[in-house]
Amino acid sequence: MRETRLWSLHLLVIPIIAVLLGLHFAVMHYAPVFYGVSVEEARNFETMIERGRSVAQLVLYILLLAAGLYHGLYGLRGILRELPLTPALAKFVDGGILLFGLFIFALGAYVTWWTFSYKIGG
Amino acid sequence: MSDKITTPREITFRVRRFDPDADSAPHWSEYRLDVHDGMTVLEALHQLKAEQEPTLSWRSSCRMGVCGSCGMFINDLPQLACQTQVLHLGTDVVTIAPLPNYDNVKDLVPNLEPLIEKHAAVKPYIIYLDQMEIDSPTGEFLQTPDEREAFSQFTFCIKCGLCLAACPTVATDPLFLGPQALAQAYRYTADNRDCGMKERIEAIDIFHGPYQCHLAGACSQACPKGVDPAFGIQLLKRALVLDSMGFGKKKSSVAKVVPLADVVKAIEEFAPPPRTVGK
Repeated sequence: MRETRLWSLHLLVIPIIAVLLGLHFAVMHYAPVFYGVSVEEARNFETMIERGRSVAQLVLYILLLAAGLYHGLYGLRGILRELPLTPALAKFVDGGILLFGLFIFALGAYVTWWTFSYKIGG
Repeated sequence: MSDKITTPREITFRVRRFDPDADSAPHWSEYRLDVHDGMTVLEALHQLKAEQEPTLSWRSSCRMGVCGSCGMFINDLPQLACQTQVLHLGTDVVTIAPLPNYDNVKDLVPNLEPLIEKHAAVKPYIIYLDQMEIDSPTGEFLQTPDEREAFSQFTFCIKCGLCLAACPTVATDPLFLGPQALAQAYRYTADNRDCGMKERIEAIDIFHGPYQCHLAGACSQACPKGVDPAFGIQLLKRALVLDSMGFGKKKSSVAKVVPLADVVKAIEEFAPPPRTVGK
């Protein structure tokens, strides 16, 4: 793929990360401020499962996971590719980072989906 | 009363020497020379070679900042030796080394092959898709001053290579195309006679292309001709992004061609008088 598209995408995901990370902080870390519940209450298992069963939460976290992973791994690739690599090694780095990203995304998406489809008491 | 220094001042020149046939590593040699006001580093080197060190090597040609041959690392800055006056440096000891980020051929001679190879890779010439017009031109391209202004400053590049010597990205990533080649890629892409973006993409839209620029701006500071290659790289990024979104230049937007017959007629009207000697 053209480097321009990869680079543009890594910039485009920045506002997405900023908004979704803001929502994540509001839900997870500033629950007493925004929802009037204690931090302990916001973080306990039942509350998390309850939140995780909403479609909004599912979409938010899968999007945040994809955007964060892409932005972070594009940066990591930039650092690694600046090393004096042979063309074969450079391809290996690109392919390795792509596979690693897909694996982490699949894992994160599975956890988010598992939470979404969790049946309380079932 | 003039504040010009008229009496010569003794300056110590620390010159990095390296002879690949005799030395295993570079070393520094010191020379003392009476420097008068207005003397350039290049003139000082010529005098040192004539009077003290005949084996001293460097590359130079025009002596007036046009050919771009005499780039050196003078007092830790990449500069043209012919444009740098010794007394303007303001130090009693002047250090002169070959340009960094290049292999050293001998003494102050850098190997500029990477500069030339990167420059050639971006196809630094106007690409016009109508082959018929190239082979048998029917007229001339017209370009307005505004159209020329879009890339004008980048035409002043003299390929001296100082920008690559100053670039911190080239220092860590030798495959980075560098400010010179990328600014030239923009110079031709922005030319309204050109429609070669598609042909250049393979060379410039790569990892080691414009997105590796760390925006240090050292290239623009080092350029002896006042070109701003760092700005050129940013403009090239914009052109590439627009092209990747389908808004790039599809064809040459040159205004029109004047029928060649008119041009020939105009040339004939202003033709010089017939030769009077050497008939």
